[in-house]
Amino acid sequence: MSNPVTIIMIEDDEGHARLIERNIRRSGVNNEIIPFTNGTAALKYLFGQDGTGLDHKGNALLILLDLNLPDTSGIDILKQVKENKYLKATPVVVLTTTDDSHEIKRCYELGCNVYITKPVNYESFANAIRQLGLFFSVIQVPPAAT
Amino acid sequence: MTADAQRRRALGQILLLAAGFLVLVAISASSVVLVNKARDASSLVVHTVEVESQISNLLLEIRRAESATRAYLLTSAPQFLTEYQAAAANIVPAADQLAKATSDNPVQVENYARLRKAIDQRLSEFSRGIDRIRDNDVATSVTVLRNGTSTEAVQAIADAGRAMRAEEDRLFAMRTAAADRAQVLASSVTIAGSGLVIALAGLSIFLVRRSARARDHAETQLRDNNVNLEATVDERTADLREANDEIQRFAYIVSHDLRSPLVNIMGFTSELEELRGDIFRRIASLARAQSAAPVTADNATDTAEPALEGPDKQLSEDFTEALGFIKSSIGKMDRLISAILNLTREGRREFEPVRIDTSELIEGIVATMAHQALEAQAQIRIEPLPAIVSDRLALEQIFSNLIDNALKYLKEGVPGDIRVRGRTKLGFAIFEISDNGRGIDPKDHQRIFDLFRRAGTQDKPGQGIGLAHVRALVRRLGGTMSVASELHHGSTFTITLPINWNVNNRNREA
Repeated sequence: MSNPVTIIMIEDDEGHARLIERNIRRSGVNNEIIPFTNGTAALKYLFGQDGTGLDHKGNALLILLDLNLPDTSGIDILKQVKENKYLKATPVVVLTTTDDSHEIKRCYELGCNVYITKPVNYESFANAIRQLGLFFSVIQVPPAAT
Repeated sequence: MTADAQRRRALGQILLLAAGFLVLVAISASSVVLVNKARDASSLVVHTVEVESQISNLLLEIRRAESATRAYLLTSAPQFLTEYQAAAANIVPAADQLAKATSDNPVQVENYARLRKAIDQRLSEFSRGIDRIRDNDVATSVTVLRNGTSTEAVQAIADAGRAMRAEEDRLFAMRTAAADRAQVLASSVTIAGSGLVIALAGLSIFLVRRSARARDHAETQLRDNNVNLEATVDERTADLREANDEIQRFAYIVSHDLRSPLVNIMGFTSELEELRGDIFRRIASLARAQSAAPVTADNATDTAEPALEGPDKQLSEDFTEALGFIKSSIGKMDRLISAILNLTREGRREFEPVRIDTSELIEGIVATMAHQALEAQAQIRIEPLPAIVSDRLALEQIFSNLIDNALKYLKEGVPGDIRVRGRTKLGFAIFEISDNGRGIDPKDHQRIFDLFRRAGTQDKPGQGIGLAHVRALVRRLGGTMSVASELHHGSTFTITLPINWNVNNRNREA
């Protein structure tokens, strides 16, 4: 990722967050990662005080999203991001434990870009995250709002 | 109305009917007897009348003979001789007939004996007179006629005839009275019996109407109860379904939420494993640095496990063992959680009833297991199976689980023989999957259907989910399943499924 893309990681489980961050770093991605452990804080950051998302105008963001959050559902966050005129172009990677086909379908319908199920097997987990990191290093991310 | 009262009422009606029937039989029998008696009495009366007429007839014939004889004696005209002969010829048969008719009465027999004697005497007198006329001895004949002996015989005949007639008159009066009595008795018995039958019929009608009223009342009550029951069942069913849904959601959420920490445990265990590698490499290099010449730099960064010695080696092995246990336990837990997830997902899947050629379906399953069967040296025989309407995927899962189990738990060294049979009974299809495998101890028959429970020697991989899953599916399809098995003597799993399953069945069962 040549341009300074900020990775927003919304993950309630700090352990998972740590493991994800580590493996992303291991794949050689050095972008800033801002972790959030609940949906409210993440939404506040994404949409700013006024709730319009204007704060991030011109910033390139990439969102790593867990679906099972304590306060809001990840689906809600995904919906709001994809409906916001500044953030809708932001790539959203859903990274969650659910491998339910309905859930997956729903996320893609709402505009999620990548859906990854967290494998319990750490080898696979680490592998998946590292590949995601590699993916991050090659994809182009548009700045939020054009 | 209590059952006891009902029984009493039914018994009363039966008794009433039986009584009516008995009365009818009694009336009929006594009527027959009485009518017979009356007929007998009448015939006796007729008999008496006949006897009287015979007596009269006899006496008349005697008179005729007498008067013919007299006329012949006086005139010697041959026409009177002919008349005499005709009358005389009639007398003896008439007397014999009278004897026969009165042979049953000793009084009459005695009277008849006297009569007969007198008749015989009189007849001989007649013939003697006739003979004299023939010999032209008219004078003697007239003398004979004048003779008193003939008057004696005539007197005797008249006496005997009177006696007999009197006797017959007596009998006639007696018998007429008897016949009257018999007739009166018959008619009164008939009238009394008819009255009784009518009374019983009236009572029966009353009782029948009363029980009909009671039945109507009970029917109304039953209908009400049914309506109430249906409402109650609907309510309970709704509750149960809600509870079931709740459990499904619960299981789903729990298994999801359990998975999340598991990712951490697994992740950090793996991280620890890496750290372990780093630590022991450090220890090894330090130990080497202490004991011998300085180690080369590339040796220290070597990824290969450096050689450890003594207590360090022991420590490393303990570390590896502990991590191994943690990882295998996590793996197991992950599989269990996945199983619960799959089960709850199955529980939420909507079934779609379609017509299924069961034989074809099972042949398909067996074909996919051909390799396993070959390895286990087992043959799978499929007998003709009934086609049913059910959910295809569920049936596939049911049969493939059972056949897979049968292949999995065969006896060591014994060629497997697995048989799938089917038949229909009362709207249900019954399938039997039997094997000659290691069998299941009867005390485990219930346990094998429980989630995560297994029985027998644990030498095959598995989570103890298959049968629990199969039973859940069979139940959702409105069926039942059971096992018959003995240790070392094979097992037979029996599945009963409705031939025509539809979604309504399930909802009623759910």
